[in-house]
Amino acid sequence: MNSNAFWHFLTLQLIKERSKHLSVIFISMMILFLLSSVLFISSSIRFSLEETLKVQPDFVVSRIQGGTAVPTPVKWSDELLDIYGVSQVTPRVYGRYFFEPKRKSFLLVGVDFMEEQSHQKLQTLIDKTDIKAFFEGKQMLVGQGVKDYLETHFYKDAYNFLTPEGKFEKVTIFNTLPSQTNLISNEMIVLPIDLARKILGYTEDEVSDIIFNVPNTDEWDMMTDKLSALHYDIHVVNKKEVEKSYANLYNYKGGVFLILFLILLFTFALILYQRYSMVYSTERRHIGLLRALGWSINAVLRFKFTETIVVVSVSYILGVLFAYLYVFVLGAPLLSQIFLGGDNLTNDVHFVPVLDFSVLSSIFLIYALPFIASVLIPVWKVSVTDPKEAML
Amino acid sequence: MMIQIENLYRTFHHGGNEVPVLKDINLNIKKGECVVLTGVSGSGKTTLLSLIAGLDKPSSGKVLIEGEPISKLPDLFASELRAKKIGMIFQHFNLFEHLTVNENVTVPLIPSGLKMKEIQTKVDAALNLANIRHKKETQAGRLSGGEKQRTAIARALVADPNIILCDEPTANLDRDNSLLFIEIVKELHSLGKTIVIATHDPLFDNLDFNSTIIPMLDGKIVEEFNDE
Repeated sequence: MNSNAFWHFLTLQLIKERSKHLSVIFISMMILFLLSSVLFISSSIRFSLEETLKVQPDFVVSRIQGGTAVPTPVKWSDELLDIYGVSQVTPRVYGRYFFEPKRKSFLLVGVDFMEEQSHQKLQTLIDKTDIKAFFEGKQMLVGQGVKDYLETHFYKDAYNFLTPEGKFEKVTIFNTLPSQTNLISNEMIVLPIDLARKILGYTEDEVSDIIFNVPNTDEWDMMTDKLSALHYDIHVVNKKEVEKSYANLYNYKGGVFLILFLILLFTFALILYQRYSMVYSTERRHIGLLRALGWSINAVLRFKFTETIVVVSVSYILGVLFAYLYVFVLGAPLLSQIFLGGDNLTNDVHFVPVLDFSVLSSIFLIYALPFIASVLIPVWKVSVTDPKEAML
Repeated sequence: MMIQIENLYRTFHHGGNEVPVLKDINLNIKKGECVVLTGVSGSGKTTLLSLIAGLDKPSSGKVLIEGEPISKLPDLFASELRAKKIGMIFQHFNLFEHLTVNENVTVPLIPSGLKMKEIQTKVDAALNLANIRHKKETQAGRLSGGEKQRTAIARALVADPNIILCDEPTANLDRDNSLLFIEIVKELHSLGKTIVIATHDPLFDNLDFNSTIIPMLDGKIVEEFNDE
């Protein structure tokens, strides 16, 4: 039956009954668009976080007293260096700086120019920036969100930070961090470590935390025990725990969306059932008529199957294509806020295009199988009844 | 024999009751014969026609089309037999209203495996025979009753079947169109087609060509009358 007449008739039916097909394509496309958009966003965020995690230190230690985070003594660095298997020990100074008038906050990150590791990391973050020039004065590198926010409050070139002593510290904007790193750098201000200490209220002997690597991952559990024995008030976090917390966060959000999708798919199946389940007597009559005119059950099923595959494929391609454009070209307005939160600074995130073909094929199967079944089962039921009865 | 009907029964089940519609029908129709099944509504003539076409299954007995038991064949073969040997004209025309005349007539040939060009040649011939070619691009839903009937005739003829079955063909036509239909039947008869018409239209009582009138009553053939 797969002659050119078959394809001619199929095209004819699709065109002539376009209003019926277009409505189904539109509904399906919207559901696929939403589903694909969310999956594109979550894949992209997960990819970015995994990439971020790759360059994160293996361990972070800080000091907790009375259940509260307090400055960490910088001398702990020397103690850590004495432990066999520990490498790249780096003290860090960072903290939230609140922009009081609007109750917004920036993340201040101090960088030590003398410390090679953080120097290199900074260089990879801003390839075209002259780092030496940056460290020469009271200057800062700001994330895109910070820059936009400061500009709207008339701080175009510099900002006066208020130190814990109540003095103003004027810091000029040296450059902006690349927008591609917005996911992590949107609220970030990078500045020399001494300047960060001054603004955040740390003394020269204090830091926010200390990071280091332990290349032998088998030693990680042992290392946690060793560190805990070192000081009663030491707080140790390793990379695995950070990974878990990220995973929990996105699994939680993924679960919420999964429930939404199940509801959507269920609704979708009902719509399809209503649309195609021979509730329409004309559809039923048409099948009976085809059978009366000499079409076999197989021929009817093959025709309806091909017709459905065309509708399914068109909806799928359009839904996924629009989702791709929406997420990776337009930056997923609205949906990105659900994932990233929008309570602080506006984040103009650029999602890294990630196409997970297993996810795409899963979407196709989740969508296509119920769709095809909801069409073909009623068609089959009508086809196997006597044509005379179907035409009534 | 073109059509053989042997001990045919058809019973419907309704609300736990058995309603016999056809009772012990035996009939032989020769090649090229024109048979008119007459009778009041409910006499069983349409059911008999459906059983001959294989659109319905008998409760017992059999229908043979050129020796092949259509009601007992698997669907694929029964459909093929229907597509190649039987042309059906329905009381309500049963056209695809959203398709044009040309497209409607094309439908029976789609599963045939023929190329579109070959199909179109056959469609054109059928449209000429049914005198509806001038309307070939008109949507079926916009046709008059007579034009719809001629489209249905063209569709029944497009596969060049040996048997034409007509179910109350003039029930929805005015007198002029009914007479026009009879003229087409006459022409088909002259071409050697075997024709079976189920009707209660008195216009078929006195056809001016060889025909056999078979009156039916309460699911039985009352008598057999041949006007030869």
